Amino acid sequence: MNDLFKYRAPTSRAELFSLLAAHGEGARILAGGTDLLVDIRSGLVRPELVINLKKVEDFSELTWSQSEGLIIGPATTVNDVLHDAKVRDCYPLLADCALTIASHQLRNRATVIGNIAHASPGADMAPGLLCLGARVQIASQRGRREVPLKDFFTGVKRTVLSHDEIVEAITVPPGTAGSRGSYRKLKRIDGHDLALVGVAVTSKDGAVRVGIGSAAPTPLLIEGLTDADPADAVVAAAREAIRPISDLRCSKEYREYMIEVFVRRLLEEVR
Amino acid sequence: MWMSVEVNGHIYEREVTEHWTLLRFLREDLELTGTKDGCSAGECGACTVMLNGEAVNACMVLAAEADGATVETIEAEAAKGELSEIQAAFARNYAVQCGYCTAGMVMSVRELLRHNPKPTVAEIKEGIEGNLCRCTGYQQIIEAVLDVSGQITNETRGGLKYV
Amino acid sequence: MSDTTVSSVATRVGDNVQRVDDTAKLTGGAMYASDLVFAGMLHAQVKKSPHARAKIVAINTSKAENLPGVHAVLTGKELDYRIGLYVADKDILAKDAVRHFGEAVAAVAAESLDIASRAVDLIDVEYEVLPPVLSQMDALDESSPLVHPDLGSYDYVKASFSPQPGTNIPNITKIRKGDIDAGFAEAKWIVKREYTNPSVQHVPLETHVAIVEWKAGDEVTIWSSAQSPFTLRDLFCRAFKLPHNKVRVVIPHVGGAFGGKAGIHLEPLLACLSRKAGGRPVKFQATREEEFSLLPCRSALTYRIKTGVDADGRITAQKLLMYWDSGAYADYAVNVTRASAYSAGGPYDIPNAWVDAYTIYTNKPWGTAYRGFGHVEFFWGLERHMELVAQVIGMDPLEFRKKNLLKPGSTTLTGEKINEHTGDPLKCLEAAAKAINYGRLTPEEEERQARTGRRIGKGIATLHKAPAMPSFTTTAAVIKMNSDGSVVVNIALTEIGQGTATVVAQMAADRLRFPVSLVKVAVERDTDKDPFDWQTVASKGLLLTGNAVIAACDDLLRQAYSDAAQVLRAQTADLDHDAERIFIKQRPEESVTFAALSIGYVYPNGNGIGGPLIGLGRYTAQGLTSLDKETGQGLPALDWTYGAHGVIAEVDPETGEYKVIKIASAFDVGKVINPGTMRGQCIGGMIQGLGTAQCESYIYDGHGHLLNPSLTDNKILTSKDLPEEIECIAVETPQLDGPFGARGVGEHPMISVAPALANAIHDATGAELTHMPVRFEDVWRAIHNEQPIDTWVTKAPAV
Ligand SMILES: Cc1cc2nc3c(=O)[nH]c(=O)nc-3n(C[C@H](O)[C@H](O)[C@H](O)COP(=O)(O)OP(=O)(O)OC[C@H]3O[C@@H](n4cnc5c(N)ncnc54)[C@H](O)[C@@H]3O)c2cc1C
Ligand code: FES
Ligand code: FES
Repeated sequence: MNDLFKYRAPTSRAELFSLLAAHGEGARILAGGTDLLVDIRSGLVRPELVINLKKVEDFSELTWSQSEGLIIGPATTVNDVLHDAKVRDCYPLLADCALTIASHQLRNRATVIGNIAHASPGADMAPGLLCLGARVQIASQRGRREVPLKDFFTGVKRTVLSHDEIVEAITVPPGTAGSRGSYRKLKRIDGHDLALVGVAVTSKDGAVRVGIGSAAPTPLLIEGLTDADPADAVVAAAREAIRPISDLRCSKEYREYMIEVFVRRLLEEVR
Repeated sequence: MWMSVEVNGHIYEREVTEHWTLLRFLREDLELTGTKDGCSAGECGACTVMLNGEAVNACMVLAAEADGATVETIEAEAAKGELSEIQAAFARNYAVQCGYCTAGMVMSVRELLRHNPKPTVAEIKEGIEGNLCRCTGYQQIIEAVLDVSGQITNETRGGLKYV
Repeated sequence: MSDTTVSSVATRVGDNVQRVDDTAKLTGGAMYASDLVFAGMLHAQVKKSPHARAKIVAINTSKAENLPGVHAVLTGKELDYRIGLYVADKDILAKDAVRHFGEAVAAVAAESLDIASRAVDLIDVEYEVLPPVLSQMDALDESSPLVHPDLGSYDYVKASFSPQPGTNIPNITKIRKGDIDAGFAEAKWIVKREYTNPSVQHVPLETHVAIVEWKAGDEVTIWSSAQSPFTLRDLFCRAFKLPHNKVRVVIPHVGGAFGGKAGIHLEPLLACLSRKAGGRPVKFQATREEEFSLLPCRSALTYRIKTGVDADGRITAQKLLMYWDSGAYADYAVNVTRASAYSAGGPYDIPNAWVDAYTIYTNKPWGTAYRGFGHVEFFWGLERHMELVAQVIGMDPLEFRKKNLLKPGSTTLTGEKINEHTGDPLKCLEAAAKAINYGRLTPEEEERQARTGRRIGKGIATLHKAPAMPSFTTTAAVIKMNSDGSVVVNIALTEIGQGTATVVAQMAADRLRFPVSLVKVAVERDTDKDPFDWQTVASKGLLLTGNAVIAACDDLLRQAYSDAAQVLRAQTADLDHDAERIFIKQRPEESVTFAALSIGYVYPNGNGIGGPLIGLGRYTAQGLTSLDKETGQGLPALDWTYGAHGVIAEVDPETGEYKVIKIASAFDVGKVINPGTMRGQCIGGMIQGLGTAQCESYIYDGHGHLLNPSLTDNKILTSKDLPEEIECIAVETPQLDGPFGARGVGEHPMISVAPALANAIHDATGAELTHMPVRFEDVWRAIHNEQPIDTWVTKAPAV
């Protein structure tokens, strides 16, 4: 790592928010660091200050309640979610997605919120969370706001967050608990790899939802479909929504084709 | 930043370079060079160490984050000069070739066995997925894990066939 | 140490002896070059070209020089040395032009890595960007820009290579056997096709690293992760015109090499930095990204094969055209070309053959040796082609191969006569085929296919390879007895993971009739202390060094017997020994211990005789010749190791995704020295071969920028990618001049894995695959008759 930066590890929200407010664009939040440290090393971002938020009290919380559903805190790791009994019970799809991320030791550090906040088009937690109607709880010195996950992403590695804001929690509503759902990720090898495409499909109470990653500048959600829709209609809706490109990982045509295959296969699984 | 960290049972108090990773701190400041750098990017697992009892990629952790933490590295694995059971099983099963992945591999196996004392072959593969090895083709490492977890008999021990 | 199933007191070659280096490696105690730190050591960083081809207009280093903590800054202008293994075509730093993306244009040595990095950022380079030539086929075109306009003025090894001035061709190798036109005239069928593969990386887990100290009086010491200390020293001394006794090369543990660390790489640059910094040691370790383009790769190949077959299915003629992409420098690529040319037909009896093999410069990172030395690449085409020919003539691919295999009495492409001791390709092929139940699906496989909807297919492929080395390659071993009767072996063959130290200990123990525990093979290699070895390459180490070790053991025993004869007042013929003592055969109680003889025997009255027991063994490859430049005829092969793979693959016919269910591979190694280490070499190579087959590839944009210099986008296989079953089979046809009958197997397991896999996928789906690697998308395209993927990702930002 060539670039020098300072490091702080606040222990309270107030301290965290004031650091962010004071440093603006020059500050970066460090959760698991598995995206941030890679970006710093490659020179993609050059922060003056790196703020570790894992020491803030109660940030590693992962809770579930009948009334509020699942609450995922900023320091909750991907492995925390993967191994959580309640997640496996109510939102097994999230465990499916979590298991496809990187390797075991990386998942011990990588956070769910980091995965979302980094806003990579291929973030593996996104398709599942989108299907399950996740909401993003945003906080700063200025106050709090809530944004549906589907409105959170604004472009490749871009979100609605301002420089002084953090994601304080991702919540998954109780209403989608018990959804039938599954995630398929196309990779170059069986071992850890980024998604060439990732597709999640859920079905609950007749509503069918499709989440798609690596097929557009942001992860996509396709809603408003029902169990009554024939597979062809669901595929047509997906095809309409996606805007894949050719890159060094695979071609646009293969992406399009595989998304279609995955949507069909997953529909059959969840129906 | 001034920090205090327990590494392999010793407390180190040090001024740490804030942009350094835990990997650089271990190798360059503490001169514990058993932990290796194969990519500095989280991909290869050669840098795997235990941080507060959990396996992590030391290249994906800032040294400063280890303030107040406990770290264990390969140097602590052979207590009192005796190979640990995992190390001995690696030796018995030819699970070491160039040795550059070995430290990280042993750490991941330790993590796996802590959660799962009798892992299946699929679980072993999952457990060491983040540790690249270019020499062995992994098979004899997997056999070493089956061995140390008491799952190898002479019939199931991999061997060379002669014709 | 814990209780083990492998015996640490075994003396026999052929036993499972535990590796002698595993404890150091398992405890983190083994020191690699990257772990070494010296007092006063500086850290180097390199400024690299972002362009594939450009003129260097100006370099401004003043800001870097003024940065506190910087001790030396270098650019190409100051360095008037040319480096090159076979063709001296490379400057230490690019001088007036850059020839590939990632090429070194300037370098810095500073007190810390952080300062060095900052200094490199402060160096400004002004380029005039020129259009690069990226494909070797384009580079053959007369209108192509020349990568080396001065090719005609370079030094080169004239006995073996033929650069063509005024072109992009640093070498052509030709083989002419029989009468090619007559051969095709006899044929009933003529089948031709083109096969391609891209450049790939070795990906040793340890990247290249070196530390060099150039002290006053031209005393140079090099610590390096290099494979071949003596060749490194030789090339270094040639470049700097230094006497060999001024330069010392030390090789500690090496974290994998696979050919990429043969030859010479960063050492000259670090030496110049050290000299400029007043003699302080200077260290450099390549980042993973630098490993891909500052350091070399494996050459790409386009292989055009035309085969004539008669009505019986016998090959009558083969025309083989190889176009090797050497990248910007000739390095090993010219010799890969040569070694591949004389092996180009595979282990088959081809009466009439014509090979033209071209090495071609392009503006890409350069190609070097890589496990298999060309054979992984050309066997991809060759064994896919054998499959195609069998299909065209309507013969079973196994039968077709068997019919055409080399057998005693056949001659190779260079006219070498095969005999029953050369090795048994048929036995290998049959063993591999049997291990996968070739030619049919078992009931379980039928059931699995029905249950999953995926198609199961089976494929086979053969291979052969001989060491690619000079005809006069030599090596030596020294074995020294300690005063307790244990011994230390010194050799310059490096331990890069392959298990050399262990099998050398085993062979020495066997020859001395000592337990292995009494034999130590020194870890570090040191050109000031170890006896000469040419290089650690080419799968020649076991045979050459093994023979030298045997000779050294015999020499040591001869000395010990001679001293013992004097002590025991007997003739040496009356003596025998065990692990501890030399005794008189008919009166074993009259004996003297090795310990008592080891450093000179002392009589009770204090008189001494004899002296330290030190055995020396030498070995030279026997009877090899250079190849005739026009016909390629001659005797280049120390030994031929034959082998074959069988692969069972399962393919999703809709998506092209596939999985390897089983790989079974057989090699005729002559004699297994250590089953455990041999199996390790084989499985490691088979999986590396699957990596090359499935996913590994350099990907460039249309400007020659390397798009995937990282493990993120240049995937290598993980534990999860292993086949469900891996079987490793040894055939033992003793090699007459091999130590204990053994021959090399270091490279072979990786060769021909790719065509075996593609043949299996073809069997399952009919997909005609001619490009390696075989990605899921390639299979999908082949099945659905889509155009193949464009090799060049062209939608790149403009330069
Ligand atoms: C080897 C390797 C393999 C990987 N494989 C995968 C994979 O298979 N699938 C996948 O999806 N990803 C993968 N990743 C990417 C990465 O691991 C994940 O995206 C991870 O979940 C990121 O979480 P983190 O906690 O490490 O994020 P960090 O790096 O800590 O943060 C990521 C970004 O989000 C910001 N951020 C973090 N938390 C907050 C917050 N609470 N509020 C506001 N901003 C915040 C940070 O400032 C930063 O910009 C891989 C990474 C590596 C190194
Ligand atoms: S060095 Fe940390 S994962 Fe490779
Ligand atoms: S033993 Fe060399 S990388 Fe694993």
